[in-house]
Amino acid sequence: MLLNILIGFGVAFFGFVLQTSVAGVNRKIIARLQKRYGPKWYQEFLDIFKLLSKRATSHGWIFDFGVIMALGGIIATAMFMPLTNNIVAFAGYDNFFIFVYLIAVGMLGMAMSASGSGNPYASIGVMRALTTMLAYEVPFMVIVLTIIKLTGFSSLQAIAIAQQASGANWFLIALPLGGVVGIICLMGMLGKKPFETYIAPAEIASGPMVEYGGKQLGMLFIMHEITVFIEVSLFVHLFLGGAENIFIFLAKYFAVYTVVNLISNVNGRLKIDQVVKFYYKWPLIMAVTQAIIAIYFGWVI
Amino acid sequence: MKSTKFTPARKLSKEEVDRKWWEIGDFFRRNSLWMLMYCTGCCAIELPPAMTSAYDMERLGMGPMATPRQADILLISGYLSVKSLRRVIYTYEQMGEPKYVVGLGSCPINGGIYHDSHAVINQLDQYIPVDTYVAGCMPNTESVMNGFVDLMEQIRNKTANGWVKYKENYEWYKKNQKAALGEVIIHDEFHE
Amino acid sequence: MASIEILILILVASGILSYFLSKLNTTAGSILTIFSTMFVFASLAYYGFNDALVTTVNYLPGFSFEFTYLGAYFAIIVAFVYSMVSFFHPYFVEKYQYKNAYNMLFLLSLAGVLGAFFTDNFLQLFFFFELIVWTTMFLIPLGKSKSAAVSYFGFSAAGSFAMLFGIFVMFKEVGSFDITAGLASLSGTNAVLVFISFLIAGFAKLGVFPLHIWLPVAHGNAPHPFSPVLSGALVKLGAFVAVLALVRISPASSVISAISLPYAHYIVALLGSLSIVFGTLMAIREDDAKKLLAYSSMSHGGYIIVAFSLLDSVAFAGGFYHILAHALASAGAFMAIAAVARQTGTTKMSEMGGIIHKMPITYIVYLVAIISMAGIPPMGGFISKWLIFQAVIDKGLIFITIAVFFGSIGSFLYVFRPLAALFLGQEFPQFKKIKEAPILMLLPMIIITLLNIYTGVLPNAILGFINKINVEVGYAPMVIDSPAFTLTGYNGVLHPLLIAGIFGFGVVVAFIIFILLKKSRQVSLMDTYTAANFIHTEELLHYSVDFYAPLERLYEKYTTKMTDFYDGLANKVKELGKLAKYLFMSKYVEVAIFWIVAILAFLLWGEL
Repeated sequence: MLLNILIGFGVAFFGFVLQTSVAGVNRKIIARLQKRYGPKWYQEFLDIFKLLSKRATSHGWIFDFGVIMALGGIIATAMFMPLTNNIVAFAGYDNFFIFVYLIAVGMLGMAMSASGSGNPYASIGVMRALTTMLAYEVPFMVIVLTIIKLTGFSSLQAIAIAQQASGANWFLIALPLGGVVGIICLMGMLGKKPFETYIAPAEIASGPMVEYGGKQLGMLFIMHEITVFIEVSLFVHLFLGGAENIFIFLAKYFAVYTVVNLISNVNGRLKIDQVVKFYYKWPLIMAVTQAIIAIYFGWVI
Repeated sequence: MKSTKFTPARKLSKEEVDRKWWEIGDFFRRNSLWMLMYCTGCCAIELPPAMTSAYDMERLGMGPMATPRQADILLISGYLSVKSLRRVIYTYEQMGEPKYVVGLGSCPINGGIYHDSHAVINQLDQYIPVDTYVAGCMPNTESVMNGFVDLMEQIRNKTANGWVKYKENYEWYKKNQKAALGEVIIHDEFHE
Repeated sequence: MASIEILILILVASGILSYFLSKLNTTAGSILTIFSTMFVFASLAYYGFNDALVTTVNYLPGFSFEFTYLGAYFAIIVAFVYSMVSFFHPYFVEKYQYKNAYNMLFLLSLAGVLGAFFTDNFLQLFFFFELIVWTTMFLIPLGKSKSAAVSYFGFSAAGSFAMLFGIFVMFKEVGSFDITAGLASLSGTNAVLVFISFLIAGFAKLGVFPLHIWLPVAHGNAPHPFSPVLSGALVKLGAFVAVLALVRISPASSVISAISLPYAHYIVALLGSLSIVFGTLMAIREDDAKKLLAYSSMSHGGYIIVAFSLLDSVAFAGGFYHILAHALASAGAFMAIAAVARQTGTTKMSEMGGIIHKMPITYIVYLVAIISMAGIPPMGGFISKWLIFQAVIDKGLIFITIAVFFGSIGSFLYVFRPLAALFLGQEFPQFKKIKEAPILMLLPMIIITLLNIYTGVLPNAILGFINKINVEVGYAPMVIDSPAFTLTGYNGVLHPLLIAGIFGFGVVVAFIIFILLKKSRQVSLMDTYTAANFIHTEELLHYSVDFYAPLERLYEKYTTKMTDFYDGLANKVKELGKLAKYLFMSKYVEVAIFWIVAILAFLLWGEL
């Protein structure tokens, strides 16, 4: 059991280092697209450590406690994530629903501490984050329902191994409509434009992060990096067939994050009711159609 | 013959440990400066060229941030009227330490072209401590970038201590602020 | 006391005794209530878990009781909620208009509950049902409004009479009022009629769409210590009747082969999912904290109906566990709001703010309760929702999946609103002097919080008991404890103790990172980012009115459709009555005599 906990903590730490580096490299790629040089590839690390070294202001015990609960919840979620077919801390217990709901604990902690700062912009930002979550979760859950029904497992590692079996395709190809819905919902989950409503720096002064500085903001940045790691890995295991060894995992991870980042960089930001209306129109219709086709007619590529 | 007695390493005193901590912090702080997007006067027009493709500020690690709690640099870009000075002082006191102030243009130095106006202050240094000035009316974008690099050099040499000076000479700053403004935090926000 | 009948008699006797005792001193009457409910709960729990409850009847003629695991499970949960809530009575009862009768009605309704869950005869079930409805009907108007009782009684009476109709149809076919034997031998159209009428009774008591209008009115306007009982305990009566209808009557219609469910059960599941969606949407708009929790009860009632209509042993386990988890979470949340209402005098969220700084323990109680209500690990609500998800996904029901997940995510929205608008945010100056709730009110709230955590971390003891209920109603028991401390669903294994343990480990790691860094500078709440504007009034910086305004704007045109429908129905019945009065009872005597003669002639036509 102790070995499992250490492997889990190693996975969480590896995820943090991986995502921070990939985010830095992506900033350089976007800068080159815009004909400028861009920051160093380890710039995100410098940002986080600079924040951890400043003296911050605090508004009471709930302000600090919420941040601790948020970071703790996300580290706990990352410890369950499988990396490859062989590296997983708690084999058989990495249920899909644990990831979705433990991320919700993290978000609840951050929401509690943001509202506890007393700034109305923070509460508005949390309201927009929750409304966006209501929008993108439902089509995503319908697609995951299809995947779980087709493979018969809800453990991430088992779904990944089922796609690697000979004769089976990745679910991005086998369920094409579902793959498109998956990418759109991934963009909502990561909070990338056009669904970046909950931060919206120009409109609501960066939303929930308005009163944070110093170590609380640094811990929230760490939480954000690990959350992005969990969500992109979720997509890699569910739709791209997992990975047999670590290099294939790194390649697939980098490809997914870069593609999503490139799409989001050419879009503007939607309003919050436009986000809800968007997700409940075409993504939901495509997801339900895909589910009916795959479950009741059995037409899987 | 040299003594072979083992001499243990000298234990660091509390100030030295604190200083070493600040030194490591200085490397991170000078390579990742975040500025508050607070544009007080005309010199703010020099910021968009500094942020975009020609004179890319992001390769120095700098970037804009939305609120004073998150930012490191307070950029006073241009002249400060009496009304704006009250808000600038409130914002400066809300920022987290260590914090730096950069004065763009000639107006923070000696009043610039508004030096004889009744509603504009002349010397910013009397009211909040300034670390770097960039002279010009308005300065070239290359001068602005030069000013930022200068601030990073000052952080490396540990001479960017405006925030320490503010804490140590707090009464002197408050006396100057009261003499110029009357009261800093006003209670009737609709009639100044 | 090991005998059910003695327990009921003790409750009736202490009810009458507390009436006379309250005339002398109200607090003494409330303390008697506390002792008698605790005694009843302790005996039920001790003898019920050891299968040692005695069912012989010595004193009440014509009554007969039967011990079933199903009835025992419901009765223990309801008795627990009653006994915890009774601790609130010494602080609240003085302010009501008929304070002497409050405790008596409370104890009599608990006696009715015990009788209803342990009976084996349908007429007795109807008698105890009506006893509960009548005693609670007199308790509700002691709160804010008297018309709430009318709405509550109207829907409950409609449910009770539908159940009576179903009982008589069953008696006509089978010949006896016995519960188990009678329901098992129904067939044909009689089965469908009894199914529908029992479902109407169950829906009316549970507050499921389309019979949900009375829920926000009754729960929102009931006296503050009675709302936890209404929402946590009394709606479970409806769940009991629904279980009788859905599970015990052999399939009442033909089966859809693609999903292996009968038509009737699929339609019931659809009604349950509509209840989930509408309850969530209406709760998101509410400003009054108690009405919001009432709509949340409607949504959870929908979950229970969906779980029981799936005819699957994992779904049944999920439904029974959800009854327990929802009772605890709802009681905890309502009790926290009652404590706040006692200290501040209002339950509207737009008038309060920053209560956490003066009542931190109440905040923790409310936080744990809503984490369980939203179905987030490591609390009990996650276990039941996971089991329901397993069953729904295994059967491949797409539209019910959409509703179930929508309700699950939507519940984050409406449970967060009291947290942000009522407990957090800016402190209002008129509430700067309030104090924490008294220790006797904190004690039951802390017990319920600990139980919320226990049901989420170590569920296998309770699931073992639920497996016995599964076997009793004729379905296979769920697989638990293989390996130890885990639950096995259809496509995955859940280890709740591991999740809670790793969550604790993560929080410890985050805490260590936090402690090692520089200490923060403490500032007051009003020293916040306002783009450097100087603001000195707290109301301008507190965000609580129209919290979810952009989302509400998308559907606010459709929110009164059901109440308008029922108002229209009531108007049509009144018009029918006026028509009958005009035709048959006009002021001329000759018209009445004409109609009497005509009807008699029509009825006797064949005889002449």
